[in-house]
Amino acid sequence: MIMDRTSHTETAALTAEVEGLLDSAEPEGFFRDTRECSAVLLIAGSMKSSPPTPRPKKESR
Amino acid sequence: MADALAEQTGAGAVPLSAVIADAANGVVLALRGEGDPYALSRLLRQGDALASAALRVLGRDALAPYALDHRATPGGADDAAVVREALAAYPPGPDASEVSVWSYRGLVEASHAFLPGGADHWPQAPRAGSAWVTDDPWPRFSHRTSQLAALALPGIATDLAGRLAPRTDDLARGFIRAVRRRDWLQAAGLGRWLARLGQVPPTLGLDNGLVFVRHMSDGDARVALHLAAARQFYGRGG
Repeated sequence: MIMDRTSHTETAALTAEVEGLLDSAEPEGFFRDTRECSAVLLIAGSMKSSPPTPRPKKESR
Repeated sequence: MADALAEQTGAGAVPLSAVIADAANGVVLALRGEGDPYALSRLLRQGDALASAALRVLGRDALAPYALDHRATPGGADDAAVVREALAAYPPGPDASEVSVWSYRGLVEASHAFLPGGADHWPQAPRAGSAWVTDDPWPRFSHRTSQLAALALPGIATDLAGRLAPRTDDLARGFIRAVRRRDWLQAAGLGRWLARLGQVPPTLGLDNGLVFVRHMSDGDARVALHLAAARQFYGRGG
């Protein structure tokens, strides 16, 4: 018989905590898809390496 | 350390996670052959709800050092009393998860094997469902399997291990997924199961993967316990 200082409410909470630890949900997480990352990198790279948009020359006065 | 832990749990001022971590550290030390000869009742004292709860969470792992007979003295009556108390205090309820039932079952099985007292002294091992082994998609299947890593020990839950074996490739995929998600506890648990099951795809690099998990897990005691078990019982993980 367990006879420590935990009250009935605390024991119930402890039981729930035990069950929660035994069957815990997966932590929130993310992982990057290599193909998606390389596609984004490719688009960003091609945008940077493309020539600047032609603009009309300013007329000299 | 055991005495300090007993004092802490007696004071009731520490969270359950800290008690579990301290107890897990004690088991790791025993598995590595460090420290005093292992005695569960010195690590988790009888008559304390937190100690019983920690034992129920660690499950069969709390008795793992007794499986290495040169690392611990045989379990005694005090150890049996501590385990019996935990089993009585935290039985799986009618709506308990299958993981909870499997874990309880593993602790009962291990008590039969390593602690004194005949079959009459221990509760009956409940039936545990295993439909998830075949029905769950691989990410969920891997997560659930990792939660049962304490059963990945020689001679325990052999029927479950037999059912998991055909899905070794899914567990390997789950291991990679867990590492990429930086879920070190899940990765360590799956690595431990893969170590037990054998037939691991050679391209997985399990040993290097387990070393990587150890480096990255920042000393998490439960992760360290899975890794120590994989190394001591199956020689995996360097």
